[in-house]
Amino acid sequence: MKGELYQSALRYGAAYEESSSDGVTPRPHWSHLMEWLRTIGPEELGQRWARAERRIRENGITYNIYGDPLGANRPWRIDIVPLLIAQEEWQYIEAGVIQRAQLLSRLLEDLYGPQDLLTGGRFPAALLYANPAFLRPLAGVQVPAHTYLHMLAVDLARSPDGQWWVLADRTQAPSGSGYALENRIIVSDLLPELFRTSNVMRLASFFRAQREALSSMADRENPRIVLLTPGPHNETYFEHSYLAKYLGFTLVEGRDLTVRDRRVFLKTVEGLEPVDVILRRVDDSFCDPLELRSESLLGVSGLVDAIVAGNVKVANALGSGVIESAAIMPFLPGLSQHLLGEPLKLPSVATWWCGQPSALAWVLDHLESLVIKPAFPSLGMEPVFGSELAGADREKLIQRMQAHPHEYVAQEQVALSTAPVWENGLLISRSVVLRTYVLNTGKGWVVIPGGLVRVAEATGSVVSMQRGGHSKDIWILSNRPVDTFSMLRPRHEPLELKRLSRIVPSSVADNTFWLGRYVERAENIARILRSMIPGVRRAEESELVSLVRLHGCLATRNSKLPRTKRKKPTFVVFEKELLSMLADPKRADSLPSTLAEVARIGGNVRERLSADMMLLIGKLRDAMQGEPNMPLLDYQAMLTACLELLSAFSGMERENIHRGSGWLFMSLGRRLERAMYVTRELREITRPLATEDWSFLERLLEVADSSMSYRARYYTTLQPLAVLDVLMSDATNPRSLDFQLEHLVELYEKLPRHAGDDLQAMHKMLAQLRTIDLQAIHYPSALAGPGKPASNALALHRLDQYLQELERLLPSWSNDLSSRYFSHARTQPVAMGE
Amino acid sequence: MIYNILHRTTYKYKYPVSVGDHVACLKPRSFLANQLLQNEMHILPAPRTMTERLDYFGNVLCFFTVQELHKELVVEARSKVRIDKSPAQASSASVPWELSMQRVAHDYSREALNAFQFQFESPRIRIKPEFAEYALQSFLPGRPMREALMDLTTRIYRDFRFDSRATNVRTTIEEVFKKRHGVCQDFAHVQIACLRSINLAARYVSGYLRTYPPPGKPRLVGADASHAWVSAYCRGAGWLDMDPTNNVAPSDGHVTLAWGRDYSDVSPLRGLILGGGNHTLDVAVDMEPVES
Repeated sequence: MKGELYQSALRYGAAYEESSSDGVTPRPHWSHLMEWLRTIGPEELGQRWARAERRIRENGITYNIYGDPLGANRPWRIDIVPLLIAQEEWQYIEAGVIQRAQLLSRLLEDLYGPQDLLTGGRFPAALLYANPAFLRPLAGVQVPAHTYLHMLAVDLARSPDGQWWVLADRTQAPSGSGYALENRIIVSDLLPELFRTSNVMRLASFFRAQREALSSMADRENPRIVLLTPGPHNETYFEHSYLAKYLGFTLVEGRDLTVRDRRVFLKTVEGLEPVDVILRRVDDSFCDPLELRSESLLGVSGLVDAIVAGNVKVANALGSGVIESAAIMPFLPGLSQHLLGEPLKLPSVATWWCGQPSALAWVLDHLESLVIKPAFPSLGMEPVFGSELAGADREKLIQRMQAHPHEYVAQEQVALSTAPVWENGLLISRSVVLRTYVLNTGKGWVVIPGGLVRVAEATGSVVSMQRGGHSKDIWILSNRPVDTFSMLRPRHEPLELKRLSRIVPSSVADNTFWLGRYVERAENIARILRSMIPGVRRAEESELVSLVRLHGCLATRNSKLPRTKRKKPTFVVFEKELLSMLADPKRADSLPSTLAEVARIGGNVRERLSADMMLLIGKLRDAMQGEPNMPLLDYQAMLTACLELLSAFSGMERENIHRGSGWLFMSLGRRLERAMYVTRELREITRPLATEDWSFLERLLEVADSSMSYRARYYTTLQPLAVLDVLMSDATNPRSLDFQLEHLVELYEKLPRHAGDDLQAMHKMLAQLRTIDLQAIHYPSALAGPGKPASNALALHRLDQYLQELERLLPSWSNDLSSRYFSHARTQPVAMGE
Repeated sequence: MIYNILHRTTYKYKYPVSVGDHVACLKPRSFLANQLLQNEMHILPAPRTMTERLDYFGNVLCFFTVQELHKELVVEARSKVRIDKSPAQASSASVPWELSMQRVAHDYSREALNAFQFQFESPRIRIKPEFAEYALQSFLPGRPMREALMDLTTRIYRDFRFDSRATNVRTTIEEVFKKRHGVCQDFAHVQIACLRSINLAARYVSGYLRTYPPPGKPRLVGADASHAWVSAYCRGAGWLDMDPTNNVAPSDGHVTLAWGRDYSDVSPLRGLILGGGNHTLDVAVDMEPVES
């Protein structure tokens, strides 16, 4: 049984199998892992694997696939078995990729500097001039040399004879190092015994070096470093937020930044904060709509000018994308000799740039055996396999290549090596590509001891995360004791104690405010719907008024109930309406939509929320996913479970979040939303209500979670005025109106740069609320009719007017708050030209 | 000839603009026959920051940011420029055009590279067989460069109709070529696309053109406009300017402001604004000869 696990790993083919040379015996550095896998057995491994998958889902580790039917966020796929590389072999790779990084960095320096390589005829000028990624505004701009390739990613493959080849270079904003880190954390946690006994080189010091390298770019101590992301829709957004959190940088989008007086600032709720260094994940041409692509909404107007003025450092430097092209590969051996005085250590996969007439001729003669790719990735063409081309398609490609030879490269197809992958309880060989990372510290080059392995879906096919492949961890097995430094656990050196709260960008405040509002909204909707279900199910006439009023508390815009007051809704219509609120994800104000909004907004600020909180948000998103045509009764249980999650969320909000600006905005959002709901509920009470419909009051107390405290005071006597007192004036009830308004005022006063004037209206409403004398109100019977209020109903009428005024004030107060604290994060500059 | 040139751009916005970042390419560049004597920029409201920088092609760009709330922006450039009559064309302009083309691609000198960069597609220029086909009717085998170039200029002048309302800044070159109409930018773009499609280096020139009042009438102030034409590289003779809109080889009536791969490199004024809503634009150019 245990033997089978290993047997299945082997594939006898032309490819190089990483784990074994003969298909029977593991290679020496694999024997410990194979032995351990055999000991532990497939069953235990399967269980651990299931745990890991759960963890990935719960942590919300995702890789967004464009146009994926599973939705924008797809769980990251990882294989449990790491790829092992012995240190001696790794040293060879390390030396190769460091040399490559040095070479590419020198190439960039020259292309954006003196261009001696062009006048020396060592680099084809056409490759530069025809390349849309050559950013002319950056040419001749002095930037620190080590920002050109702060980080380089190199994709490597191993051919059947064991030789390593470079498949591609990622020079401008290489992705994946964060996923590599996350893979390591998951796999080492999954296989702790194996990890401990394998002498695996650790990753943390690489990231520490990265943090130090970025800090050293700045001109001052304790610089502000931001990670610039295109935003939550980008395929690697998870990684951006993960790295920002891990490295301690602020995650920002272009709209969070602004340039004033040739300096870059972060827009925060406290005001503008200077930014020294930008680690960017936005493609360079999108970084400044003023000087680069004017249609870009991802960049910062004036960024290039701030760089020219030397006031901000960007890594990798803007323009470094110009060599992110296979077209440079044929020239690297010559450039290595010329610039470094040594031969290229790691060969690139055989490549022809068609901009050279002789190369074009050769490529057209050997089309069947080659892959044709765009020379400039911005052209957005998919790779084409020459062998798969025939007839008109082939002719068309040849014509295009002849008309625009500069835009094409051809590469040989590499027979990728394979490595064992855990699949359905067996180890199967799958093709793999390695991605490793080189860092320029300014004083030297450091390679991450490991990286990311991408696994092909099926052996021989294209390896691409974008196409849904999965990944593996890489373990470099050291022959010496390893450095166990961890970024998560500081070592013994004394630390300066800090009480500074983290800077809160305006857009983060905006999102947390709305997170608070939507969580509270979801809770109110869930509570109201839950209280309606029994009435709808019993379908007794006496319940109808109560249902109509409860429904009124929802203030839904997409109601399916009849619009006119004359026409009474039937129970059938009510059931339909209820089901649509409970289950229709397409209805904008339904509970599932509201929860989806919670998840979306939560995702926007994930780097600000704890793992536990993100976990809850993930569960909330799925909380109302029922079976089709589920009966109402089953929804009741679902609602209760959903409400449990929501209260867990509010518990965390109260007990686990630092009372910084972020928390203030979230709480403000919650109080504001609750005030809006309670105001609507109170208005439903102030409208005349026949005594036989007073069951509504009971339901309402349930909704407001106040039945217990009501009973403690009034026993079972149900009276509108007493209910009003509990829900409106009782300052000790955390769901009363008084409580909401008082806390709104209190929270607002804690905000940075708040103005006293903003609170005047709110103070006035609170004061008025406290002068309302409920004893003076004689609750009218329904017979008095709403048309002409009896004299004893006048006081009630005034109360209703007060509530109406509050209904107007609350949203406008929310708008004022937005325009004061978030609006500059929302406005987008507009391009204009003559 | 010496000219006083006034170029005033006025933006009127529907709503106030809180921040405006702008790039102006309004300071004439100076070279042999085109000497800048004086240049002043007047901007209202006064910008918070203003810096000058040379772009990749050697043009002077002026970056400025207006941070004051405004509903109107006025950018005025006043320049004094001396234009010398173009020197007699060197004889090399009469070598066959193919020879000029072939040599540029294999010459790594700074001068040749500087020309070579204008042989490729750029944001507004495409390289296409139909452009090549049109160009080759003028660029007959062995024809001298200058003669072929003048012939192409004349054909565009004749085949295309000047129509200031037919196109805007977003009209593609393919559409202009198909419909055969446009303004001076479009004429220049078409000629550049034709030249680049047969592997010749061609650049876009932005500038001003002297206009003459009808006989007996006074010169109308502010009735002039900014202008555009092309410049093609001829090995040995250097850059030859051609104005397809007027079917002339520019002489002392054309003042050069800037050059680039196409309009997008040298648009006189562009920017990004916060707020503003819809806007209207008014451009007034006045070119006054002060001394001949």
